[in-house]
Amino acid sequence: MPPIKDRFIISSKAVVCQDVDLKGDITIGPGTIVHPKATIFAIAGPIVIGADCIIEESVILVNRKKDTMRIGDENLFEIGCRVEAPSIGNCNTISTRARVHHTARLTNYCVIGPGTLLVPEEDETLEEYTVVYGAGAERRTWSGRGKVQEADLRNKHLEYLREMLPKFNRLRTTADIGMSSPGVAGR
Amino acid sequence: MSSILYHCTCTSASTASNVPPEPTLPSSAFAFHPLHALYFCEECDLVRCNRCVSVEVSGYFCPNCLFEVPSASVRAEKNRFRARADIFTTRCARNCFQCPHCRNTLSVVPSDPPEEILTQPRPQTTTESIGEPPFFLYCNFCRWDSQEVGIVFEKPTGLALQLQKLEDSLPDSLEFERLKDHFEPLLRSSSSSHHHTQASHHRNPITAAASSALARDVPGLHQPIRGISGRTYSNPKPPARANAPKGWDDWDSVIYKSRLEVAGSGVGIRIESELDWIKALDEGHGIGRVAEMEQRWLSSWTQSLKARQLQPLRIPLHSKKTKRCPDCRHILIKPEQKAQSVRYKIKLMAANYLPSIDVFVPSLVPPPPSGGSQLPKSKVKDAEDNGALMMQPGKSYPFQMTFTNPLYEPIQVRISVHRAPPRMTSGDAIPHRPPFGITLPSSAFPISAFAEAWEYEDDEDMFDEDDLEQMLSGNSSGGGLGLGADSRGGRGSKGHVGVLERKANVTRVGGEVLIGRDASGEVKFNMQVSYTYRAEDSAADTTSPKKTGKDDPAAAGEMKTFTFFTLVSLGSIAPKADTGSGASKRDSASTSAR
Repeated sequence: MPPIKDRFIISSKAVVCQDVDLKGDITIGPGTIVHPKATIFAIAGPIVIGADCIIEESVILVNRKKDTMRIGDENLFEIGCRVEAPSIGNCNTISTRARVHHTARLTNYCVIGPGTLLVPEEDETLEEYTVVYGAGAERRTWSGRGKVQEADLRNKHLEYLREMLPKFNRLRTTADIGMSSPGVAGR
Repeated sequence: MSSILYHCTCTSASTASNVPPEPTLPSSAFAFHPLHALYFCEECDLVRCNRCVSVEVSGYFCPNCLFEVPSASVRAEKNRFRARADIFTTRCARNCFQCPHCRNTLSVVPSDPPEEILTQPRPQTTTESIGEPPFFLYCNFCRWDSQEVGIVFEKPTGLALQLQKLEDSLPDSLEFERLKDHFEPLLRSSSSSHHHTQASHHRNPITAAASSALARDVPGLHQPIRGISGRTYSNPKPPARANAPKGWDDWDSVIYKSRLEVAGSGVGIRIESELDWIKALDEGHGIGRVAEMEQRWLSSWTQSLKARQLQPLRIPLHSKKTKRCPDCRHILIKPEQKAQSVRYKIKLMAANYLPSIDVFVPSLVPPPPSGGSQLPKSKVKDAEDNGALMMQPGKSYPFQMTFTNPLYEPIQVRISVHRAPPRMTSGDAIPHRPPFGITLPSSAFPISAFAEAWEYEDDEDMFDEDDLEQMLSGNSSGGGLGLGADSRGGRGSKGHVGVLERKANVTRVGGEVLIGRDASGEVKFNMQVSYTYRAEDSAADTTSPKKTGKDDPAAAGEMKTFTFFTLVSLGSIAPKADTGSGASKRDSASTSAR
């Protein structure tokens, strides 16, 4: 397996903490916030993250396929989740400790409940507004009511984090962009 | 794994002798309980288990808002605001609702404002959430909301009242109201003339009402009613009704006419024939849209069959229970009245009175390289747990039992193996069943009192300084009670029977089990434990005699003895291997000490 070349394109408006484990070809859009102790591994193919996403602690985003893994805007990845889905749309919520397999594709406004394992056997694309919940990964469709309030809440979340995170965590400065820093690579 | 269970006397066949059933019978598992599940009645001086205690409800509370509901309003059939007894009184009346899909708690949220708000610049100072009435219920887990079934509120508080009007107009509740109005005068007059004939021994009015309601259905059990309005019945009755109490006729004579014919099952589906009914279930997306069992069964007929029409339910109340001794009515467990506190006002647990015993077979703990059974797991067919190894027939295994004394006085413990007499063939040391032999320390051994940790350093002088102290390795405080030739050597050697170690309020004794050559199955035996302590005498440490204490009633303070039975299970015997260890068999308890 060829050695992984690190290539990070991180927007200057993104807030990425220094403690984040990055590997491979990663693009992070403006406004996205990556908490410390997150892990983004673009092992076989690149990962492109959109704008205004929130990636919390202990989140693992892995791309083991050669194709680009695209993540859209305004998604929320809560603590401890693990996502390998090759494509994610906008405004999704992947709750705490959930796991999404690489056969699943999320569109917009999907919610994966806490602790849920979304492991479809074949390639499956979840429709918009699908909610996956429960130990048996039952699904139902959200009516969409309350999405304006949720979007507003997420905006406030982003603003708060942009203000508070840099006060308490070291950020990855622009000097690190584009270079493979020895402390991160090779892990 | 080796375990020990305690016997509760409530299931003994004869009350005179509290003899436990034979351990090898599979039906005797009901009589033995772990120590943490047992209670102890001080008046009767007996162990009580969960099956023999009488349980009463001491209070109701909502698990969501932790609001305590007084039992009176739970029981009340008619209350000013509570028209539907089944819905209101056993469920929370204060804004606590349950999602019909995932049974999670619902929260009240405002509706969305129009979408343009997001694009407008917001003043930075506001931290309030946007949102406007009408309010509805929303489940955070599965994202169901009550607007799907059409329930919206104008204000976020006082949901109970707002829903009240809606629920009252349902045909079910109207019907129920009419039924109650019809039967109320009958009930009142029957119960008033009925009281003095009530021969039940229920002291609690709740249980009395419940038992009389139950008995009403069974002809002959119910107390005869003197006659509602003084009439006598001289009509000959058919033989089937000859045993029925006289009051029944009176109820029949007033026929109730229902308000309207309710055909079909469930609200929302009123189809006549079965075919149409199934078609109605099937309409719109197939049979998957029928409400699941878990979604419906707690809701007492009020839920629709269609998943789309499931209503949010109030959260059912939980109850706090009080447990009493069945004989002397002494309270064993009484929880605190506050819903959020998990403590108890009265807590008489057996663990505070009986010594807790742990049994442990050192050679059976994996992965030991020492002697003992080394059967590979693939050969063991009926191993109960994959971790523990099994005992091989024809060998002897030492085991250790640790006794922990919960009392504040030192106790003298005497253990012995209890055999069920009829099973034995006469007088043999090794009869045919059960084929294993148990050796236990035969004389009484003391266990020190329970005291706080800081007190133990001073207590070293008070313990018995026996010469055998140096023979037992690694003792921390105080000597042990040797048994002569048996107590040689350290813990690890085989054949060590007797007190191994005494530390604080814990004493470890060793025993030995010898598996016969033809043994098979599990090694289980009943062990009788009897301990003696001096009541009402706190400073008994120095003067606690060892062997004579039990027989000496003239000592200061009164000596009390308590005996209970336990079921000791040491593990399983490996089944007969191909050629090697010979047939498995069991030996009887050869040395059952006094």
